[in-house]
Amino acid sequence: MGSKAWLVEDESAREMLDRVLTERPFLLLPPLHRVPLRVGNIVEIVGPSPSAKTHILIQAAITCILPRQWKGVNYGGLGHLAMFLDLDCRFDISRFSDLLNHRIMEAANGSSSEVDCQIKESEAQNATTKPYNEELFASCMRRFLYIRCYDSSEFLATLKTLHYRLQKERETHGVNVHVLLIDSIGAFHWIDRGSSSFSLEGDTRKSLHLQSVTETVVQEIRKLLLVHPMLVMATKAAVLGNRYSMNDSKRNYRTWSAKDNLHSRNVTSSDQQVPYREYMPAVWQSLITHRILVRTTDADFVNGEHQNVSTYLSEWLLPPLNSVDKFIVRDVRKHSCFAVFKKKNQISTLSFSCI
Amino acid sequence: MAPLKNLETEYPIIDSNFQNFCASHGIFSVEDFLIHDLYMLAAFAEQNVSSERLKEGITQILSIIDDMHQPWLNGMELLEDAKRNKHFLPTGIQGVDLLLGGGIRVGQLTELVGPSASGKTQVCLQTASNVARNYMMLYLDTGNSFSPQRIAYFLGKTNELASAQAKNQILQKVMSNILCHSVFDIFAMFDVLHQLESNLRCQERGGGCRIRLLIVDSISLLIAPVLGGTSTRGRALMASAGYLLKKLAHQHNLAVLVINHTVGSEGGTSKPALGDSWKSIPHSRLLLSCDRGSNVYNVSILKHPSMKNLRSKQGPS
Repeated sequence: MGSKAWLVEDESAREMLDRVLTERPFLLLPPLHRVPLRVGNIVEIVGPSPSAKTHILIQAAITCILPRQWKGVNYGGLGHLAMFLDLDCRFDISRFSDLLNHRIMEAANGSSSEVDCQIKESEAQNATTKPYNEELFASCMRRFLYIRCYDSSEFLATLKTLHYRLQKERETHGVNVHVLLIDSIGAFHWIDRGSSSFSLEGDTRKSLHLQSVTETVVQEIRKLLLVHPMLVMATKAAVLGNRYSMNDSKRNYRTWSAKDNLHSRNVTSSDQQVPYREYMPAVWQSLITHRILVRTTDADFVNGEHQNVSTYLSEWLLPPLNSVDKFIVRDVRKHSCFAVFKKKNQISTLSFSCI
Repeated sequence: MAPLKNLETEYPIIDSNFQNFCASHGIFSVEDFLIHDLYMLAAFAEQNVSSERLKEGITQILSIIDDMHQPWLNGMELLEDAKRNKHFLPTGIQGVDLLLGGGIRVGQLTELVGPSASGKTQVCLQTASNVARNYMMLYLDTGNSFSPQRIAYFLGKTNELASAQAKNQILQKVMSNILCHSVFDIFAMFDVLHQLESNLRCQERGGGCRIRLLIVDSISLLIAPVLGGTSTRGRALMASAGYLLKKLAHQHNLAVLVINHTVGSEGGTSKPALGDSWKSIPHSRLLLSCDRGSNVYNVSILKHPSMKNLRSKQGPS
């Protein structure tokens, strides 16, 4: 019929859903697995220092670079590239390679129980430092792209040339970059704030101060995501507010309150109390689509035979979920697992995942 | 911030037409390009008469910007560099070496925190005497605490069985390997570090005996006077100092050890000085404490890239 001819369909809704779910899958990355993440999301991981934020990024990168399947073993990864922008300049590659090796070993042995981890760890300690499976390890490590930025100019230069770099890497490896990790976004905050914004030659000239740098960063990230859809995860070091009764917070409030009100805004949670002191400009806050707060706690791990566990609490602020998860990072020399527990919930299930 | 016209000799595409076009958008140097939207600039260039040349100029600027950041590396290259260059430097203090898994890590910024008279300078001097047997090192002294006699004493203790002549030789070698600078404010430290950076860059091409360890005793004495109050300048200086030290450590394969003191916090406990902004700058933080009664020193880890808080005892040394 004539009237229907101009409505030529490309695909049905079902086909589109199938395609999108395959090409842009939802990722469940422990301990962030309460909220499924996909490309186009920009996640901010906030927490005091130290609180396992970089560890979360590393695990996300490992999930991304591991292949889905390799020589018959299911690794559960994506097989894509991961890009790491190290603004803190504290990244330790030996720790990264240990964690990658551990996950490869675990998946290959098909074990996901705590007991097996213990056995493997004693075996691994006797073994040499050779990776478990060299070829797979090398191909995964090559999919991890890393750059350091020592100041805002280098960071901006990296972002401006990232488009061409992404194209080049796609040609070299044949796969896309799936995650972009930034550690940490507030690294140059004080340095940029310290450089005064004096305007020369009238008002037409902008200089590299906090507001203009952040606006450019946000602009570049937005433009990049249009052409190269990626999942962006950024850590941010923050001082916790008095809701968590940290001793330092009251003192910090007094010293920070007078300055630059347009740069700070209190983030209120459902308790009408400030969980942490926000210092990033509003333009960055409007870019974020997800936000999670992590902090360390001294509470003992329930099953604590292991001496070297660190316990952390995580809480989703955006989207606000009214629950606090507890997770541990088991640092048994070259091994690290996440174990996630549900807290403040009627059904107290123990969901354990050793990644 | 060199103006654009300085680039004209090297890149003839950046001619006066291009410079005028950029000036009309408020861009006078390459750094200005970093905070402007280059796609919009290209769109404006489209409407211009000489659009092709202008767009070529923008592409040239982008390749100049590409040289302004660190090189991209992949995981294998990073690992290679870590294995080849980023070793451990043993301090000679058994407890510390055991705790850190070998010693102070090259390429990382290690901080030693402790209340006054807890032995921080002694740790520095012993580390200096141990490292200087094999490598050169730079000691930045802020409080006139460097003592050659103490270094000689440490050397004497570890070489008790050697002959007098051998001892003397070692002593001479160690003393000539230690470069000691007195700095009394943060700007003097920046001067010394920038000088060191340019020296190291020259030496990289020429070879020769290179510095492996940098000790700043103590960095809190330099930073504390500029911190405080509502000024942001102090914190900016502190962050810049931290980044400069980390850059030196990573790019020139140095181990950097800085000393910090403690201040009282609420509740009567003590915490490291320099506040929360400094907290996230060093790679590792060690807490040194001294039990006066039994003369036993305790070292524990406050923060480490891959270890949780551990304790290690160390007897009097």
